[in-house]
Amino acid sequence: MTDVNQRDIGKAMINAAALVLVLSYALPYVYLLMTSLKPAADVQQIPPHFFPESISFENFREVLVNSTLPHAFANSLIVAVLTTILSLILALPAAYVATQYRRKLTVVFLLFALVTRMVPAVSLGVPLFQLLKSLGLLDTVPGLVLAHTSTAVPLALLLLAAFFEGIPRDLEEAARMDGCTRFQAFRKIILPVMKSGIAITALFSFIASWNEFLYALLLTSENSKTAPIVIAEYNSVFGLAWGPMTAAAVVYSLPVIAITLALQKQIIGGLTFGAVKG
Amino acid sequence: MNKLLYATALATLLAAPALSAERINVLVEGGGEMLQKAVAAKFTADTGIEVNFTVVPYQGVFDKLSAEIASGSSSFDVATIDVVWNAKFADHVEDLSDLFTDEVRGDLPPTLLADAKVNGKMIGMPAWANAEIVFYRKDLFEDPKEKADFQAKYGSPLAPPKTWQEWRDMAKFFTRSTKGDGAIDFWGTDTIGTFAEEWMAHVLQAGSPGVILDKDGNVIVDNEAHRKALEFYIAPHCVDHSVPENVNEIGWGEAQNLFYQGKTAMMKFWAHAYKMTPKDSVVNGKVGVAPMLAGEAGVAAIPGPWYNVVPSTSKNKEAAKKFIAYAEAHNALGIEAPLGLAATNSAYKSYFGKPGYEHFGPLLETLSAPATQGRPLNEHFQEIVDEAVLPAVQKALTCKVDVADVLAEAKSNIQDILHP
Repeated sequence: MTDVNQRDIGKAMINAAALVLVLSYALPYVYLLMTSLKPAADVQQIPPHFFPESISFENFREVLVNSTLPHAFANSLIVAVLTTILSLILALPAAYVATQYRRKLTVVFLLFALVTRMVPAVSLGVPLFQLLKSLGLLDTVPGLVLAHTSTAVPLALLLLAAFFEGIPRDLEEAARMDGCTRFQAFRKIILPVMKSGIAITALFSFIASWNEFLYALLLTSENSKTAPIVIAEYNSVFGLAWGPMTAAAVVYSLPVIAITLALQKQIIGGLTFGAVKG
Repeated sequence: MNKLLYATALATLLAAPALSAERINVLVEGGGEMLQKAVAAKFTADTGIEVNFTVVPYQGVFDKLSAEIASGSSSFDVATIDVVWNAKFADHVEDLSDLFTDEVRGDLPPTLLADAKVNGKMIGMPAWANAEIVFYRKDLFEDPKEKADFQAKYGSPLAPPKTWQEWRDMAKFFTRSTKGDGAIDFWGTDTIGTFAEEWMAHVLQAGSPGVILDKDGNVIVDNEAHRKALEFYIAPHCVDHSVPENVNEIGWGEAQNLFYQGKTAMMKFWAHAYKMTPKDSVVNGKVGVAPMLAGEAGVAAIPGPWYNVVPSTSKNKEAAKKFIAYAEAHNALGIEAPLGLAATNSAYKSYFGKPGYEHFGPLLETLSAPATQGRPLNEHFQEIVDEAVLPAVQKALTCKVDVADVLAEAKSNIQDILHP
């Protein structure tokens, strides 16, 4: 067998393994999609059927027309976008300074960010509730944005710090020598290089807020209720409405899928960021 | 001038409570909102007090109310809570004893009154209640051939089961291969392996003074009634083979779907399911209902009531109490909601004889049965169920253990939970 043939077989095996892996990841989502398309009587067949015997959009009609999902969906979108923007605004300069001007204090700062990620969210629920109540921000979009930002910033900080580590210090010094102020060097030279890292951080911050459940449950009631809460309401003590619940979950997953596809070049760039650092 | 000032001040003082009570916020689970919407609308029309519902997922009621109580202030004036949380919230809600007049007490099944009382305080007013009753396939039970075959085989008429033995016999009788290939594809009933409430109902039917704990908090999970009930509970699976084999995968939803899909002839299930039979189900129009089974102590079930409570942190306590009293007095208004449940005898009785509400008779009979009683009002009860009781039931359902040993082990685990 020639080297070329061996290489082809190896490649085919890797592709097959990758396909199995992708399918195993995608299978629950495909099943979710299939369930959402089943008529009410077929949703919980025993034994279950993977594919619907007939396609029905009644579950989508139910969640889009007869439920509060559209309003909650809009809330989720606004909260996630604002959380992402606010997190980046706060974390970008902080991560840059913490990595590029390394002092003992900045190391402590990053460690502290890491520690905050280890605190169970539930233990912060009541203090956040009291804080927002005293500020009159309970059940408001700004209130939930602040709560989500408090958890998204440490995540963004740690991610961005890792990306900033890959940028040579000389880059800023060269810019300074060419006449840039420190801020100009950061804005015009460093940030464009960090595009992939920022995209990944934005995506993670967005998803963290998009999927967040506990704070949304505790800190909202009606006005700023987000979609995860509405989806969970289909699981009532009197039964689980699988059809509408899966339809709502499919609708809710679309923005994340769309954003991931739109940013895929940056995400792949971000994943390999610094890999060829010489 | 002074008179005018005093008059203005007095008018302001008198108006203040009315203004602050114009709107009450009710924390409720999704299904509960539907059951109380009609009464809230009528309450607003009659009193001018607006009722605003905050709907959250089931567990959200507990989490949200806990967080609000812990914070010392609440946006909720009323919370509709599951009976399993009564003990947990007892110290943080108002005493509603003054709402329980003789008339109110006389219109509620005794078990609902008993569950409302925690540490001598009436902590909540029943908003609606549910209980397991027997569902059966009317078309099969009325089929002359089935009736004759059953009579020939068991020497008794085929009629809705009332006793444990009848249940087992009928479940065995209906378990069959409908395609004639020998593979069982239709079962007499199901056995739920992911919840323990149904077994608890049998414990009461067997004459136990309580479920898991007695009134003094002693662990009685290993008494004779618990043992007999567990033997009966596992028999259709371990001895008769009259249920689908995957018992540990069968929960409420699965049991309900097996029945709706025409794969079981009978089920013990929460009464609300009668009204919720899907129109496109193969059993639609063929469902019969009967009271829950009877053991040595007669008919018994574990009720599933929900209570309206007033959190101590509420700022509109009087308006909240007014709403709760009103909801109790107009309890029948919730029956037209999809779940179609109520709490009072009069509400249920007002629908007796109406087509589509045939389940109300068996439900009220079950709720009012002398042996029916609620779960122990112990704040560790859910932990006891999750950590000791359900594992014991599941172990028994392996069919390889002695039920007395399983219950003895459960007793030891429960004592560890209660006295760590």
